[in-house]
Amino acid sequence: MSEALHESPDQKADPESRDAALEVRDLDFYYGEKQALKSISMDFRKQSVTAMIGPSGCGKSTLLRIFNRMYDLYPGQKATGSVMFDGANILDPALDLNTLRSRIGMVFQKPTPFPMSIYDNIAFGVRLHEKLSRHEMDARVEDVLTRVALWKEVRDRLREPASGMSGGQQQRLCIARSIATRPEVLLLDEPTSALDPISTARIEELLDELKRDFTIAIVTHNMQQAARCADQVAFFYLGTLIEMDSADRMFTNPRQKQTQDYITGRFG
Amino acid sequence: MKRAPAPRTTPAPLQEARATPLWKGDRLFRLVVGFCALLVLVSLGGLVLTMAFGGSKAFATFGPEFVVSNIWNPVTNQYGALAPVFGTLGSTLIAILIGVPLAFGAAFWLTNIAPPVIAGIVGTAVQLLAAVPSIIFGMWGFFIVVPFMAQHVQPFFRHHFGHVPVIRWLVHGAPFGYGLLTGGIVLAVMITPFVTAVMRDVFAVMPPMLKESAYGLGATRWEVMRRVIVPWSRAGMIGGVVLGMGRALGETMAVTFVIGNANTIGWSLFAPRNTVASLVALEFPESAAGSLKLSSLLALGFILMLLSFTTLAFARWLLREKKA
Repeated sequence: MSEALHESPDQKADPESRDAALEVRDLDFYYGEKQALKSISMDFRKQSVTAMIGPSGCGKSTLLRIFNRMYDLYPGQKATGSVMFDGANILDPALDLNTLRSRIGMVFQKPTPFPMSIYDNIAFGVRLHEKLSRHEMDARVEDVLTRVALWKEVRDRLREPASGMSGGQQQRLCIARSIATRPEVLLLDEPTSALDPISTARIEELLDELKRDFTIAIVTHNMQQAARCADQVAFFYLGTLIEMDSADRMFTNPRQKQTQDYITGRFG
Repeated sequence: MKRAPAPRTTPAPLQEARATPLWKGDRLFRLVVGFCALLVLVSLGGLVLTMAFGGSKAFATFGPEFVVSNIWNPVTNQYGALAPVFGTLGSTLIAILIGVPLAFGAAFWLTNIAPPVIAGIVGTAVQLLAAVPSIIFGMWGFFIVVPFMAQHVQPFFRHHFGHVPVIRWLVHGAPFGYGLLTGGIVLAVMITPFVTAVMRDVFAVMPPMLKESAYGLGATRWEVMRRVIVPWSRAGMIGGVVLGMGRALGETMAVTFVIGNANTIGWSLFAPRNTVASLVALEFPESAAGSLKLSSLLALGFILMLLSFTTLAFARWLLREKKA
């Protein structure tokens, strides 16, 4: 709730908040008649990982899908309020969605390799926005695959279909694909929920690397994951932002009782 | 009724059958379903054998000539399958060329663009169209499409393309309105709802996340369709096309009404032609038992079955390649 936000001095008064990549203000979201998000105001700091936690149906994934206007694909869904990104309101209907989505990338709950080769999976997004020579494209593909620690594993089979990779590899490919268009923000919607623990650990390690260059917003059901990877944590409940703070504070000394109950596993 | 067995106090020995008498029903069930499956094989084999034996006289008389000769002359008792086979393949090809893009567009719009309420209404209309009996399409073709082709379409093409090389061969001929193109168009209208229904199901089972991933990279609708949805749905779409082809190859009544029923071969899309199915339907009643003509018609039936099987086999082959 906004009350909770005002209580936290390091939120609005924080000089760092001027470094916010995304500034959410009074955001409401509706699925038809049903309101899914109520008056959300929060900042996503640049070059840091913000985790969104909360029980199923609390609106955290909904929030993520507002940032790249994915909800636009579905009639009847609408958002009001504002989300400022690089001086523009993301909710502005006049915004060019294709450009917006090249600057705000997204990775989903399950790996979603396109039915094409590993190389083309990465080149697909790049080709939509940039005209690169063959040589430049090769360099870009190698660069992003190296960054997600996949290059050594797949360098010899770039032309093979991406569907032949393991689940963990596919998800890293999807991250590589998202960063290949050089976005500023990376949205991760429970990116490890379909992966085994080892693949999950590799992706979490990756986040630490990636946050140097990207603003990362991650939705997770996994409290340990939020504790391990996030700089800030936001707790949502029934469409409301209950509390947001640094990860250390949230997990050791939350201000709200609801937060405390959730992270200690009393409900969820 | 058997008395229920006394409740056990010790676990049943593993070699012993279950005490309750259900296994006889199980055996009967196996026999019944096995018989059903066998019936399919027997029917298929019976059909192939009937056509092959019935047509053996024609094959024996004309030899391979039967397949490559385009003469069909009951007066001189000379029969060849080429003209009706040409008509069947030609009208099916036209139907596919017209119907498949239409069906693709309709299915894509229904699953990816249309608001759910309108998609529901149009989707139901598609199913209703698929349920219309083929004789209705025949009459509609006869009264509406044939005159329209004669009065507007063919004069238009002759006027504009009558002296263009190559194309002039396609459009020449008297403006009867009957012909390969008219047959193909009526067939296209008939198969479109079927192909649409199959393609709609294929698009509907595509994971939304996959599409969203492509949109999420900043792709437009066209790019998502072209690069992600179509490659992903390829196998299912081929299935839909094959279903449409099977229907177009064997369709009888609707085509008989509009194709003109002339056993000829030629470039013109507007000249009367014939198909295997309509030739058989028309001439079967006039063929005496044991005559060479009747045998030739059965031989045509055999060839039509081969065409259908080949289509199916080709589709299987295409799909098999995808898995590799």
